[in-house]
Amino acid sequence: MNNLTCFVAVEFVDDPNVVGYTYWYLCPFADAEIGDRVCAPLGRHNREQVGVVRKVRFAHDSNAPFPIELIKRVRKVIKENRMYRIIDKRALNSTVTSMDIYTPAVAKKAQAGQFIILRVNENGERIPLTVAGYDREKGTVRIIFQIVGATTALLNALEVGDCLKDFVGPLGCATKTDGLKKVCIVGGGVGCAIALPVAQKLHKLGCEVHSIIGFRNKDLVILEDEFRECSDRLTVMTDDGSYGGKGLVTQPLSLALENGEKYDEIITIGPLVMMKFVVATARPYGVKTTVSMNPIMIDGTGMCGGCRLTVGGKVKFACVDGPDFDGYEVDFDEAIARSGAYAEFEQREREKTCNLLNKKVN
Amino acid sequence: MAIQPKKHEMPVQSPELRARNFEEVALGYTEKLAVAEAQRCLNCKNRPCVEGCPVGVPIPEFISKIKVGDFGGAYDIISTASSLPAVCGRVCPQETQCENKCTLGIKFESVGIGRLERFVADWHNARNSGNFNLPEPNGHRVAVVGSGPSGLTCAGDLAKKGYKVTVFEALHLAGGVLVYGIPEFRLPKSIVAREVETLKKYGVEIETNVVVGKTVTVDELLEQGYEGVFIGSGAGLPRFMGIKGESLKGVYSANEFLTRVNLMKAYENGANTPIMRAKSVAVVGGGNVAMDAARTALRLGAEKVYVIYRRSMDELPARREEVEHAEEEGVKFEILRNPVEILGYDNPENRRDPKNGFVRAVKVIKCELGEPDERGRKSPVEIAGSEYEIEVDCVIISIGTSPNPLIKDTTKGLEVNRRGGIVVEERTGKTSKQAVYAGGDAVTGAATVILAMGAGKTAAKAIDEYISKTDT
Repeated sequence: MNNLTCFVAVEFVDDPNVVGYTYWYLCPFADAEIGDRVCAPLGRHNREQVGVVRKVRFAHDSNAPFPIELIKRVRKVIKENRMYRIIDKRALNSTVTSMDIYTPAVAKKAQAGQFIILRVNENGERIPLTVAGYDREKGTVRIIFQIVGATTALLNALEVGDCLKDFVGPLGCATKTDGLKKVCIVGGGVGCAIALPVAQKLHKLGCEVHSIIGFRNKDLVILEDEFRECSDRLTVMTDDGSYGGKGLVTQPLSLALENGEKYDEIITIGPLVMMKFVVATARPYGVKTTVSMNPIMIDGTGMCGGCRLTVGGKVKFACVDGPDFDGYEVDFDEAIARSGAYAEFEQREREKTCNLLNKKVN
Repeated sequence: MAIQPKKHEMPVQSPELRARNFEEVALGYTEKLAVAEAQRCLNCKNRPCVEGCPVGVPIPEFISKIKVGDFGGAYDIISTASSLPAVCGRVCPQETQCENKCTLGIKFESVGIGRLERFVADWHNARNSGNFNLPEPNGHRVAVVGSGPSGLTCAGDLAKKGYKVTVFEALHLAGGVLVYGIPEFRLPKSIVAREVETLKKYGVEIETNVVVGKTVTVDELLEQGYEGVFIGSGAGLPRFMGIKGESLKGVYSANEFLTRVNLMKAYENGANTPIMRAKSVAVVGGGNVAMDAARTALRLGAEKVYVIYRRSMDELPARREEVEHAEEEGVKFEILRNPVEILGYDNPENRRDPKNGFVRAVKVIKCELGEPDERGRKSPVEIAGSEYEIEVDCVIISIGTSPNPLIKDTTKGLEVNRRGGIVVEERTGKTSKQAVYAGGDAVTGAATVILAMGAGKTAAKAIDEYISKTDT
């Protein structure tokens, strides 16, 4: 297709004045497909409205479906109902991003506590991310991730309308919520994004939810309002005291347990070190503590064994046996050591990717 | 004309060269060599070779076509029985199957049937005319779980009968073990991709990124209107030895190691998936997968690669040819050895030493062969006090797999055996659940590509009979 231009016929279905008519536009984005929604100027005042692509034609300018000097241009293609398309993207803070991905099959089945695996592009690695929410009707699954390495940086560079290469799930087992009457949720950093759907589910089931969420500082606090909505009691902690209480999440937890709060279960999700200490805090009181493990993974179906952990002296695979485990049984020191297996490689890749992305911006 | 007693050798890359690259080891026959080799076939009446083939390729017939230079005709004959000739010609253990039965083999070396099959498939693929006799659709839908050898064979056979087949694959690429397990140098991925494309031309749909048991269950597939389901989900979770040190950094299951390299292309620059570039590697186990892992480690730049196996060379379950290739390339066999512990770096002076927690050595114990066990294999007996250390920085465990529980746990009424393999009627591949069939490693536990293909073929036939019977 040498020098062919992409033209699209657009119907503005939401505008009662023009519904049923199609208008030809020049589309500077050659990947538009029939059924995509586009933003395009309409009428004498060129007011931007959203319409649906009904036809796509590639032609030489001389053969344009409408005189080339008069034809208007599509401003933006919204590719929302294509597979693995990003429908919504929000920065929760400077390093944490939330995305809603169109993937009806996964949205239909996803439950709190499960995870998905995605690839950003053809040579990309497979990374696991825990489900942070889902909308079964819209067919979307929400992921929330921290930009920590090369792949999350690439993921964050995508915008609404872009598609991920692969998105598979839901994997692992859902968090068990049966019979719980009173639960303490302890979330740390981006782990709060994973803890939220669990808290929401428990709240909906009529369980009393106490949430403790911790962050390094005020600027990194995420999802506070969402937690407040589904918690009977919410404690926010920051390491430096710039917001909420000063200190670690284990402090209010320890206090509550000391004051005789009787929890059926503590569910904790966050950095490995934090979960290790939450378990240590709970242990003297004998309160059941569930931790959510997110180790290095490849296939996510049990085939590779890369995600193995020692739980109760036995080898367990986080992807099929987890990601939730009994915190008293997990060998955290081993898990912490294993999580750093590719630290050097990751560092190098991240720098490479950052340079790449910077170049693109310049 | 006197019969040449030996098989025509297939040109290969020299061991020194190939041990450092990922290109295919064997280069295949030329037309001239193929015709010469075909002429060794006696075309005997009783055709024992066909008996030896799990999918029943009409071997003397296709060889006769090669004799007269009709390579296209030979391909047509093979494809009546096999959906993946270019794959089988490369990875089948012909020496224990068709070639083992060859009449010529009684006195001389048997006919190089595998090499000829490979030649025909490659010849065809290089000139693929793209002309297909597309079957008349019969309006029936069948779901196939897994796109490995059994699933692809079952899908291909049913599609050729006019069924609308959808294959569900958990990974992002079709091919199963053919893409994540068997390395590029033994089976180029382009060949698998081409075989998959051929199936697509027959109307087979392949849906990647679908984990049956999670994204959708077998029961839901039946509700969605699939009239039959074939489960070819393959081998499951890798086994570990349960010895100290298996969680150190630098210890891989063979599946993880091979998946990183083959599927995720970790050996290429520009891939985002990391792999450890170890200097010295120990592979534990003696099967074909262990050979693949050892040879892959060499190609990633390891200076020393050891295969640690607890019995002797005679008991090695890997194909002879693979063992020979590995030896030629420089893999060292530490036979009659059993690992007892994997040792890691631990610098008590500096807790932040980046080497801490990585593999330093593997401690093995010498064994001798004792009495044969119930399967007739001599069991290894450890010699007390004979432990010593082999210095390595990476250990790859390749001692088999146990079945994946994903499908069993989510399918009502699907019976499994004590080891977790799906129970099937051997003649048909029928499971305890109506309209559901199974085959391959999901049933047998780790086995070979061709046995899985045979199971896929058997099940395709049974599914066709089952659906035709209910369709009145």
